[in-house]
Amino acid sequence: MINNKSSTGGTVASGERLSVAVQGFHPSSFLTSETARLEKAVSTGKAIAAVSGGVDSTVAALVAKKALGDRLSPIFIDTGFLRAGEPEEVKSRLADSAIGLRVRLVRAGGRFLEGVKGQSAAEEKRKKFRETFYQVLGEEAKRDGCEYVVQGTIAPDWIETQGGIKTQHNVLQQVGIDPLTSFGFKIIEPLSELYKDQVRLLGRHLNLPNDMSQRQPFPGPGLLVRCIGNVSKTKLGVLKSSTKIIEEKLGPFNYEQYFGAVIENRFVKDPAYKKLQETAAAALGLPAPETPVDVFEDRVTGVKGDDRAYGRLAGIKIREDSRETLGWLPEKLRHAQSTIVEGMPEITRVAVLVKERRGGPPLSVIVRAVSTRDFMTAAVAPVPWKILKDIAESILKSGDASRVYYDISPKPPGTIEFE
Amino acid sequence: MTVIPVVYVKGQYNHLIARRLQELGVDSQLVPPSTPLSKLEAMGADALVMGGGPQSVRSLDSLPQELKEASDLMRQTKLPMLCICVTHQLMATTFGGKTNLARKPEFGPVEVYVNEEDTILQGLKPSFTAWESHNDEVVALPPSFKALASSENCKIQAMRHEVRNVFGVEFHPEVSHTPKGVDIFKNFLAAIG
Repeated sequence: MINNKSSTGGTVASGERLSVAVQGFHPSSFLTSETARLEKAVSTGKAIAAVSGGVDSTVAALVAKKALGDRLSPIFIDTGFLRAGEPEEVKSRLADSAIGLRVRLVRAGGRFLEGVKGQSAAEEKRKKFRETFYQVLGEEAKRDGCEYVVQGTIAPDWIETQGGIKTQHNVLQQVGIDPLTSFGFKIIEPLSELYKDQVRLLGRHLNLPNDMSQRQPFPGPGLLVRCIGNVSKTKLGVLKSSTKIIEEKLGPFNYEQYFGAVIENRFVKDPAYKKLQETAAAALGLPAPETPVDVFEDRVTGVKGDDRAYGRLAGIKIREDSRETLGWLPEKLRHAQSTIVEGMPEITRVAVLVKERRGGPPLSVIVRAVSTRDFMTAAVAPVPWKILKDIAESILKSGDASRVYYDISPKPPGTIEFE
Repeated sequence: MTVIPVVYVKGQYNHLIARRLQELGVDSQLVPPSTPLSKLEAMGADALVMGGGPQSVRSLDSLPQELKEASDLMRQTKLPMLCICVTHQLMATTFGGKTNLARKPEFGPVEVYVNEEDTILQGLKPSFTAWESHNDEVVALPPSFKALASSENCKIQAMRHEVRNVFGVEFHPEVSHTPKGVDIFKNFLAAIG
């Protein structure tokens, strides 16, 4: 393992890293010291970089390319959990002369889907994904004669994994997995001490076009963790088409992150949840019969009191005619969300129904949009109600889902993603 | 340059504390709670900030290792201190107060009302929005401490020692969603400067 953190890396006995260097971040001096460190670490060896087109892995590969030149082979792994058309688009974008990363496309969708078959728990899905990811990467590294793997791990990735909030697919040594014995390569993480906003700055400095340096984050396991619970081809299909609609409609608003997730309409029939309807009604100032609340069976990730909370998602339905009279109700809904989450420890997230289509397939699409600076905390984005309705209508028109919700949970108690 | 080590007790936001302090020109890095006083002195520490964490404080006899060490450190050091979330609760308990399950937990945005604009809360009257993430809260102040701020659900959002520059806050001034959080660090710096 390369210790490229030695200049700042306070470590304690358990192997946990403590320190993140952020003092007066200057892209050019960071680049100088980081490339020097990479040159020294890799020496005359070769490295492979898995690039996803996201800002972290792209910037990490660019930093490595500066240090290693042709001794870096960039690849793009198509996990099958990518958005419609994404592998081809990213490949051609990266080949632009401004970026100059010629990636080799590795198609492994079938293997990834097989790997998570039968898994519905978020952490299991993430761990299975990680396993397949590194197996594929290890094989590709071997094929290209590379003993090093460059990846775009950033500070919140290992902070969250180490803290047990969620398993990030790209975090190994910080949680005690030795990549050399497990997968046959050594890992280099040029960005592991940076936060997202600093990576974006560095990207700009490396001439990454604006739309790529500002690109919204897309999780490593991709649509896998937006397919809440069991993964199926049907759910993935719905998610791909909804994602396209959501990205198109929300793109102009410049929220830091916006996306959709899909969940099955299976609800918990626990009498304890009966009182949620009244809690919601009281917060919204409506009669209880007008605010039914459904609690989904499949669990979703949250964070409460600095600890991972793998809990339930409650969906508030407001009768269409009250909705038309009262409008969006953002303040009241915020109050309803916090009252529900405070009163019921097992509920981590609350969503509000935007529109439903009776008799449609038993799937719900949940729209999520947040504003955040560093992805450690997040506020619910005030998407205009009309836009949410447009999104819902387009999704429902396709006949893929029967309900569309908007997630109204900040982080905490929610996380930005659902799993 | 002011030196303020951040005592790391496994919280998600502990790194952000160091980052905020660094942005204010402070020499700040994370240290484990087991750091001996002599080492803090050798570092030239002017004050300590202690972060939050996922643990629960009930009694001093049943603390997890890192909080036991943090509690010992609080008792031994004479440095000014700002303790956040779980270490705010730990400080109350260490000095003779009490922490228990909150009547109502708080997550995300909470309006914090300033009762006394004392030192760290200078300029923050009448209230400000802070982000919170806690299941427990301080239910009894230790002797020689006074409460400075409260919220609808939580009576002791901030407290201070009556004489020493020792402060505790339940909310998270280090996260970007607490817009006035930086004022709290600035006020703390002014107080120890």
